[in-house]
Amino acid sequence: MRKKFAILFLLMSIISLPLSAKASEEESGTVDVKGNIFHHLGDGYGWEVPFSHTYRIPLPVIVRAEDGSWHCFSSGRLVKYDEMSDPESSKTHTVAIPQIVNISKDGKENAYQFVLAHESKHKDKVVQLLPTSEIEEHEAESIAAAQNDEIVDGYVKFDGKYYKEYKPFDISITKNVLALFIAAALVTWMVMSLVRFYTRNGFKAPRKGMGFLELCVDFIYTGVIKSTLGDKAPKFAPYLLTAFFFILVMNLLGLIVIFPGGANLTGNIAITLVLAVMTFVITNINGNKHYWKEIFWPDVPLFLKFPLPIMQVIEVFGIFTKPAALCVRLFANMMGGHMIVITLTLLIFIFAAYGAAIAGVSAVVSLIFSIFMLALDTLVSFIQAYVFTLLSTIFISMAIHEEHEPHEVKESPAA
Amino acid sequence: MELFTPDFGLVFWMFVAFILLFIVLAKWGWPVIIKQMEGRADAIDKGVEYAREAKQQLDNAKESAQQVIGEAQARQAEMLREAAKMKSQIIEEAKREASEEARKVMEQAKVSIEQSRKEAELQFRNEVSKFSIDIAEKMVRGQLKNDEEQQKLVNKMLDEIEKN
Repeated sequence: MRKKFAILFLLMSIISLPLSAKASEEESGTVDVKGNIFHHLGDGYGWEVPFSHTYRIPLPVIVRAEDGSWHCFSSGRLVKYDEMSDPESSKTHTVAIPQIVNISKDGKENAYQFVLAHESKHKDKVVQLLPTSEIEEHEAESIAAAQNDEIVDGYVKFDGKYYKEYKPFDISITKNVLALFIAAALVTWMVMSLVRFYTRNGFKAPRKGMGFLELCVDFIYTGVIKSTLGDKAPKFAPYLLTAFFFILVMNLLGLIVIFPGGANLTGNIAITLVLAVMTFVITNINGNKHYWKEIFWPDVPLFLKFPLPIMQVIEVFGIFTKPAALCVRLFANMMGGHMIVITLTLLIFIFAAYGAAIAGVSAVVSLIFSIFMLALDTLVSFIQAYVFTLLSTIFISMAIHEEHEPHEVKESPAA
Repeated sequence: MELFTPDFGLVFWMFVAFILLFIVLAKWGWPVIIKQMEGRADAIDKGVEYAREAKQQLDNAKESAQQVIGEAQARQAEMLREAAKMKSQIIEEAKREASEEARKVMEQAKVSIEQSRKEAELQFRNEVSKFSIDIAEKMVRGQLKNDEEQQKLVNKMLDEIEKN
């Protein structure tokens, strides 16, 4: 027990050391809570490395310029690193300064200029700088002065100057995209290793990790898909199993703080949106006559569907709300979990302003709560992947469900 | 809010990644795993059924073996009994046959003895008659040494014939 306390104390001191250093760095003494949270929840052109505030693993930026040409460059070119000396502590530290990426064309330098926008409507996105005349620049400045805000529509402020901006078509391999590929590769590797095991060992049952993987597959396939869809299960199983394992791996990778993980993937609405759209498309493509009849001519009293199509409106609305709920449920659950952990961690930095004792206590408390939350998030990762699969299965089963002789009751003699 | 507006690039890549993952796994992944799992489940079910049947068969076999053993024992007992019976029968028969044979031999012996006795008797009679003739001859010869005597005898015989 004493040993455990010692470890905890050590951890606590490790945490509070850089935080005191960090706290002194901040001129105002306060932490940008909102900025930090959204930075960690959001995407980025580089991937953070542990113990560094400035360096990022550079990733390819792929953008389509205004004239339709495609450009690909390393995200490392968006910033330059510079040594900056701190006047108070006389220490130097490295800072990342945004810079313009110049791409030449036909011998003409600076034909395309890209920059990571800061003071713009497209914050933290790569934007193209367009040639800006001085008149336009002055105009932008006057607008900024008039609205008492530095952000001017259609302009990006860079290095104190306003430029006309163009938001390019952006399919960069960002942190989230790379995490997506890593997750997909991981799922492929997991499944294929199980397949390889089977081809090598015939009917032998896998053990340990692969046994667990098989257990998960069996849990989803037998427990959810087969019991709901019956003999149609083999048709939809590939999609549902892929969705389950992809979501699960993305969820769990998101909980790992350093490199291969740490991207808030399933807590990003773009990811859950695609997944929900997949379910939506599969559900409605496979919808049978009975499914569409239930929507456009449901078994309700006539006045509910004619002349005013009340039920039809509700049902059609329901087609879209079901996958929308899927999308938002996964997104909100995962994002919420991440947000709570980040907020708990940030609490340490917030309380750091009130002295070492309070910081120490808050570090311990936050740590305990963070560990608890991460454990809970691991559970939630499983549950949300399971729920997404379960509900998708149910939606599909409702769409392919055959009518079960509801006319028998009507046919029986009334008197 | 940046969080609530889906970023096009991410949507695009998610779509691509998901479709690729789906194609790969739907082609080479899941069907194999599902087939394997179901195949194994079937095999296990069959195995259990087989074991159950085998046990039943074993139980049945034990029972039938017991039955066979019982039957065999019964037959054995019967055979023993029969053998004993046969043995006594054979002995009896042998005895009977032996006595019969003995009787026959005795009878034959008796017959031959009788025959030889008869033969001996006959021979004896012949001998005796020969002896008596010889004696009579000698006596007659002694008595008939002279003619008178012979005449007397012839007369006496003739008298006798005449008397008859």
